[in-house]
Amino acid sequence: MTLAGAGPALDRRALMRGAILLVGGTLAAGAIAPAFAATGTERFFTPAELAIVAEYAEIVIPRTDTPGAKDAGVPEALDGLMANWASAERQAEFRALVERIAAAGVIGSGPAQVDLARRFDAAQMPADPVYRRFKELVLTLYYLSEPGATQELRYELTPGRWEPSIPVGPDTRAWAA
Amino acid sequence: MFDAIVVGSGMSGGWAAKELTEKGLKTLVIERGGHVEHGADYLDALPPWELENFGMVPEDEAAEHYAIQRQCYAFTTATKQFWVKDSEHPYTVADGKPFMWIRGYHLGGRSIMWARQSYRLSPLDFESNAKDGHGSDWPIRYEDMAPWYDHVETFAGISGSQEGLPQLPDGQFLPPMAMTDPEKDFRTKLEAAYPTRRLIIGRCAHLTESRPQHRALGRAPCQYRSVCERGCSYGAYFSSLSATLPAARKTGNLTVVTDAIVHSVVHDPKTGKASGVRVIDAKTNEGRTYEAKVVFLCASAIPTAQIMLNSKSEAFPNGIANRSDAVGRYLVDHISGMGASGTYPGFEDRYHRGRRPNGFYIPRYRNVTEPGEGYTRGYGFQGGVTRDNWRRGSWQTGVGAEFKAGLRAPGPWRISLSGFGEMLPRPENRVTLHPTRVDKWGIPLVHIDCGLGDSDRRMVEQVGVDAREMLELAGCTDISVRQHYGGAGLGIHEMGTAHMGKDPARSVLNQYNQAHDVPNLFVTDGACMASSGCQNPSLSYMAMSARGAHYAAEFLKEGRI
Repeated sequence: MTLAGAGPALDRRALMRGAILLVGGTLAAGAIAPAFAATGTERFFTPAELAIVAEYAEIVIPRTDTPGAKDAGVPEALDGLMANWASAERQAEFRALVERIAAAGVIGSGPAQVDLARRFDAAQMPADPVYRRFKELVLTLYYLSEPGATQELRYELTPGRWEPSIPVGPDTRAWAA
Repeated sequence: MFDAIVVGSGMSGGWAAKELTEKGLKTLVIERGGHVEHGADYLDALPPWELENFGMVPEDEAAEHYAIQRQCYAFTTATKQFWVKDSEHPYTVADGKPFMWIRGYHLGGRSIMWARQSYRLSPLDFESNAKDGHGSDWPIRYEDMAPWYDHVETFAGISGSQEGLPQLPDGQFLPPMAMTDPEKDFRTKLEAAYPTRRLIIGRCAHLTESRPQHRALGRAPCQYRSVCERGCSYGAYFSSLSATLPAARKTGNLTVVTDAIVHSVVHDPKTGKASGVRVIDAKTNEGRTYEAKVVFLCASAIPTAQIMLNSKSEAFPNGIANRSDAVGRYLVDHISGMGASGTYPGFEDRYHRGRRPNGFYIPRYRNVTEPGEGYTRGYGFQGGVTRDNWRRGSWQTGVGAEFKAGLRAPGPWRISLSGFGEMLPRPENRVTLHPTRVDKWGIPLVHIDCGLGDSDRRMVEQVGVDAREMLELAGCTDISVRQHYGGAGLGIHEMGTAHMGKDPARSVLNQYNQAHDVPNLFVTDGACMASSGCQNPSLSYMAMSARGAHYAAEFLKEGRI
């Protein structure tokens, strides 16, 4: 094939791909997700807001026998999404939501706090699309992080086969994707 | 001077190039977009956590530059480079008649991002226009196409099962992919309740095994990753980049030029033939001309019509090979968006492993074995039954360890059905050139005027009704029905704008995909289709391109063109 006029520039994707190979090979598992979710240097949430995001994400997905939201880098990843993905409108909505979460007094540890958070969540889910989107993103960033996908759930980059019917046991974990 | 010029490098252009070069013709493929290197330019090796923004394209960027493309399910940060920037490639539509034109301008075209479902049209489909009087009678019948379907299936690699259905002919298939247990259960219940409806595994352009003709091109079997729309470094699904262009390159007869936008076809009034094409360099805006003995338009249905309409001369004041005024008319897309989903009961003790890039298919039954009320064509359903994952948590209440533990287990089996219906070919659904506006290369913008007719609308209503009934008979719960049309264009199956027909006064192409008015001009992309069937059309474009190339080479050899 004679190629005339083809001039692929070395672009950001190619650079990122190179960077991923370097980072993926050298860093501990949990550090990868935030490193790539937040490719920009800028941040969105203030340290105080980020602390609220982190505590609430951990309430939704706490550390158990497997990593929790904080272990998986969910707060940093969400901050990265706010800086690199979200529109101004969504940024404002999420900032206001973080304020409401703080005002609801659900941040903290202990069974009573979890109970309070559960009631807060139950009230928000049917009423507030911004909250639903926030929760969806928290789940996405957790279950598609490397710890969430490979320790809490299961993920195979290259399954190699399709097995349409395998048995389920009491400890069978779902596929992350 | 080339023997042949092929405009476009996607599904159709790749096939035309392969066949023409293998017949010894020095062939130039002209691609308006940039080069894509098979493998090196794909992001298919990345796990979800390494995707930019976890796959989500920044909202402002999507709104500003990809207002149309972002409506496609396959639009992510891992595929963004394969979709046009709508902001750079504008078109206009008739008032109140949106048309979502989903497209990619790069080497390989949409053969990289396509959904890979591969079905033959049937004898019924090639007879439909003649029988109900809509559109032009096809100048060919299924028997004319069958050997070419055999030919392209064998080379491309289509997996599927032999079923013996008259409305969906069997072919040269690789082994079928397997169904899940609930899919088999649904098939049993469906076929018991409706004895003439059938549920089969999807026929898809994936190598379930790699045969010598595939291995010769370095194509490996499917790895069941289901990241196909990013491009597949294994070459496990068919694309121009994995299969046809490499085969064409092996002949030594292929030249490819990228970033070259075809402005028009040059008509030589002395010979009555096309002498070549005018091209505008996408980067420098400089014009140049390429010459050849035969020209194939494979730019996809809408751009092929645009090029023809823009090829004005004294002989053809309304565009080349357009004495019929049919160029641009009879635009159809598959009617999509309707369907249903629900929770499938039982089978809690079974799960699946791997990500099957395929589902099941319920071939058309309306106006085949069951009547359709107020419409003459029909529709099929694509679907699947697989187990839910953590995503179900997004609409569940709950937080904490218990919530987390609940999402660790596989969720219930979920079924989905998506209908794809045949739109009637009607002359008023058409592509024209905008009278005043031009793009940044000075080419008149495309203006699209396309919508449903009464018959199409009656079909839309029935699709949702049928989908609900089929889920109810299987005992599904939480059923949600998508009753409404998704919108023109979103079937991503545009076709018909330079259709084949017997009558040169009413149609553009003859039975060889050769323009009635210009003997060395061939059109083998979706534009050539006189009707669409309800099946995914790419396999037909492949077969049509191989067949058209065969006749073009014969005619050249015989000195007829």
